[in-house]
Amino acid sequence: MAGLFLFYLMAVVTVAGAVGVVSLPNPLYSVLSLIAAFLGLAGLYLTLNAEFIAVVQVVIYAGAIMVLFLFVVMLLDLRREERIPLRLPVQKFTGALIGVGLFAVIMKVIFSGSLLTGAKGAFPAERVSEIGNTQVLGKILLTDYLLPFQAMGVLLFVGVIGAVVLARRRAD
Amino acid sequence: MAPLEHYLIVSALLFAIGVVGVVVRRNAIVVVMSIELMLNAGNLAFVSFGRFLNSMDGQLIVFFVMGVAAAEAAIGLAILILIYRNRESTDVDSLNLLKL
Repeated sequence: MAGLFLFYLMAVVTVAGAVGVVSLPNPLYSVLSLIAAFLGLAGLYLTLNAEFIAVVQVVIYAGAIMVLFLFVVMLLDLRREERIPLRLPVQKFTGALIGVGLFAVIMKVIFSGSLLTGAKGAFPAERVSEIGNTQVLGKILLTDYLLPFQAMGVLLFVGVIGAVVLARRRAD
Repeated sequence: MAPLEHYLIVSALLFAIGVVGVVVRRNAIVVVMSIELMLNAGNLAFVSFGRFLNSMDGQLIVFFVMGVAAAEAAIGLAILILIYRNRESTDVDSLNLLKL
């Protein structure tokens, strides 16, 4: 019962935050709204017994990545272009139509039949919480998923170098 | 515990809102944030399917998606700063050099 209540609370926070990102005119408010949405998502992960992912969501997404966005919004001083009129008059209508259509298609897929036809894995939630969520994740990450894990390290390294090289002012 | 369908509905809502943001908003930073929203919608679907299939693979894939999203945000924001230096604006309508 408490889990169900937590799910609906966090779902409302997440969806409200997402709506705020798209509808608020000031980019600064959009960033803050997106942080609220990410915190709601962390709560949803908690209801799914994914404790490590929930903490990572708060630390990396709501922390590191959103601070990066906040820095850029403040650095670029975007306040004076809050009220850019839309170039196409039907743009809002078209966007809403695409969104509703996509949502309808996904709903049709979700409710069209049995979703869980795949083979069941070896880690029911009770067993995972017995060993410890982080321990199980770490063990799989450093055995079965070692190569993707290393590749992600290389990707982040290249990404950081690329960001520094791109954003550096040319000395000319 | 809420059934799988409810989690997937939240995920679908997030994805649809992200798509609307990419189509409707003209500010490139908000467009990038909408893309982050769509990535997170995918993450939520991964974790909930993994939970209901007794598998840890969903959470592992989310871990990798987060790494890719971090790299993407760093590079994307660096590109946005470059665009702002050249155009004095991050309005996506001002990026029309490829237009005939």
